[in-house]
Amino acid sequence: MAKEMTLSGCAATAQAVKLAKVDVICSYPIRPYTAAMMELAKMVAEGELDAEFIHGEGEHAQLSVVYGASAAGARTFTGSSGVGVTYAMEVYSPISGARLPVQMMIADRALDPPGDFGSEHTDAMSCRDQGWLMGWAESPQEAFDNHLINYRIGEDRRVMLPQFVCQDGYFVSHIPGKVLVPDQGQVDEFLPPYDPGSHVLDPKKPMSHGPQIRPDQGTIMDLQRAQAFLDLPAVVKEAIDDFNRIFKRSYAPFVEEFMTDGAEIVFFIMGGHAATARHAVRHLREQGVKAGMVKLRFVRPFPTREVGEVLSRFKAVGVVETSTSYGGSMRGGNLLPEVRAALYALPRRPLTTSFMAGLGGDVVSLKDFYWMAGILAGAVQAGKVGKTVYWTGLERA
Amino acid sequence: MFDIPQERAVPFGCVTPAPVGEQPMMITGNWREYRPVIDHEKCNLCMNCVIFCPDACWQLDDAEEQVVWNAKYCKGCLVCVNECSHDALGKAYELDFPDGVVRLEKPF
Amino acid sequence: MAHVHEITIWTRGVVKDKEGRDVANGLARAADREGKFTQAFDNYVDLPDRVNVPLRKYARISDADIEMKYDYENEKPEVVVVVDATIVKGINVLRGVERGGLLVVNTNRAPKEILKFIPNGSTLKAIACVDANGIAGSSTVDFSGTEGGVDAVGLGSGIAAPLLGAVARTTGLVKLGSLAAVVKSTSALQQGYESVVIESLS
Repeated sequence: MAKEMTLSGCAATAQAVKLAKVDVICSYPIRPYTAAMMELAKMVAEGELDAEFIHGEGEHAQLSVVYGASAAGARTFTGSSGVGVTYAMEVYSPISGARLPVQMMIADRALDPPGDFGSEHTDAMSCRDQGWLMGWAESPQEAFDNHLINYRIGEDRRVMLPQFVCQDGYFVSHIPGKVLVPDQGQVDEFLPPYDPGSHVLDPKKPMSHGPQIRPDQGTIMDLQRAQAFLDLPAVVKEAIDDFNRIFKRSYAPFVEEFMTDGAEIVFFIMGGHAATARHAVRHLREQGVKAGMVKLRFVRPFPTREVGEVLSRFKAVGVVETSTSYGGSMRGGNLLPEVRAALYALPRRPLTTSFMAGLGGDVVSLKDFYWMAGILAGAVQAGKVGKTVYWTGLERA
Repeated sequence: MFDIPQERAVPFGCVTPAPVGEQPMMITGNWREYRPVIDHEKCNLCMNCVIFCPDACWQLDDAEEQVVWNAKYCKGCLVCVNECSHDALGKAYELDFPDGVVRLEKPF
Repeated sequence: MAHVHEITIWTRGVVKDKEGRDVANGLARAADREGKFTQAFDNYVDLPDRVNVPLRKYARISDADIEMKYDYENEKPEVVVVVDATIVKGINVLRGVERGGLLVVNTNRAPKEILKFIPNGSTLKAIACVDANGIAGSSTVDFSGTEGGVDAVGLGSGIAAPLLGAVARTTGLVKLGSLAAVVKSTSALQQGYESVVIESLS
């Protein structure tokens, strides 16, 4: 029987990892994800979870430890935040290239300088080209669910890829919310044991990992992973369908639509601020503004077709950016270039612009969303966008 | 192009002058529940309190030939009371004293 | 959007951190039982690992879903709870409180002794003093519930219980019965409720 608990995102993550019966955990403290490891340490100490709990000497060590453990056939879990995520950068590609389904929780945090604990997606987004799955949770419930879903997808033989399971630092990781925690039987039905297949390290059958290759083999090496990402969406859909059926949820696999019927302007958003955006959209509709929200659940694999199909129905799309891409083509965040690429070849394209919001842990208020809606409505009226990047709260009036 | 409110401004490269002597942006006098009180008659200027205070809140006033207490920063750890060699230092509840009010708007 | 009642709790790092959290969590869990929508969380920037540093914990109670979940602070608290009385000297505890607020202080001193240190105290509707230290005897020190972790030792074994009783009596924001269902020491809760001294100011 599922039971309802009030849990922060970190505590929800720990519950999911426990129910996933993880074999090896490697920890290293950094705010704000640390509490997840604190909870798991308690569970291991109390005998609630039978796992090897290793304290790494740094984030680079964390990833190296779970790399080895996963290669030996263990279901693994690690995590980090902010500069910890970038400290481990060297190890992400080897894990993905070796096709090992390691799972890493990222409670995102603004990168230094200076020591700002607030949430920002840039830390994880900086790693989006490393060949891992990546997606954000809006709430502790979604964080819990995403951990189980990602193990299922990542460990599928057609995929065999590691996953970044992300949540907004503090906003989701620390502020408690209601979480329906299923029982072990339901989780076992959804998530079969990890079967690493033939490339597991085994003394009886010695294997070499990552031997040197010639440059003319390099492209083939990369193509293997690129093909896995092409096969991925079908596995995601299967996993989500199964998840919804077993746990009685109603997740859309890639993009969730909220009040989009007859909407003319929409917010395109991912992560914790979507919770506030929902309320903003409701209030805007009460004022007669035809607003809606489209929430992105996976940024890797970017659901190009779904994003294009859904967004092309609207007149203007405001991409809410909680990450930075200095010097990027839009001189703003990371999502707008990807959205525009998804829309490029379509016959009907909405106006698109972006709003830098929530950077550094800044709160995105209802008033901020109303302001964004005003800009989008103005763009619809003018038939074009004024700018491609607006810095919410700082634009000269 | 942008209106940056003064209270949100950040210095260039996030580099700022370091505090010298004291750090008025981190006043810690409101951390204490108890304060040390000194009986100057018993004090023999052994300087234990000056040496042991983690926050340098006891200083020797050469002219007065006394040690002087810093109410603004003393956190009330009472290490000085513990280390006093001549029973000159004792502790007293902070609310018994109308002086030494710090009353910050926020913790820092 | 329905009104959100904001309760700010001032406490001290390490030695009274758990007690401050227990007050916030106690109020939220009790209000949950009454069908309210609640939040209870620590202030994010106050860094509670430092012994005795003044810290804030927050509780929010509303009849409808709280829409601005992520506001870092309670900008307009209606109720301020001070877990260690000396904090009134070191912090403007009534910051953001509009006229008619309520102040609950853990002390064995009389209300007017405490008010001496609060220059804007006359704007309060009432001040309440409860000797939580005397009733409970000791404070619980525990870190399992920090930083978003799950409290492993339960709620209200120390001075938080009588403080919660005092808050229930002074504010009426939650029922004593709801609190009794969530705290460990119901006798301390009851004693706090009965012995709190409430002085009206307006």
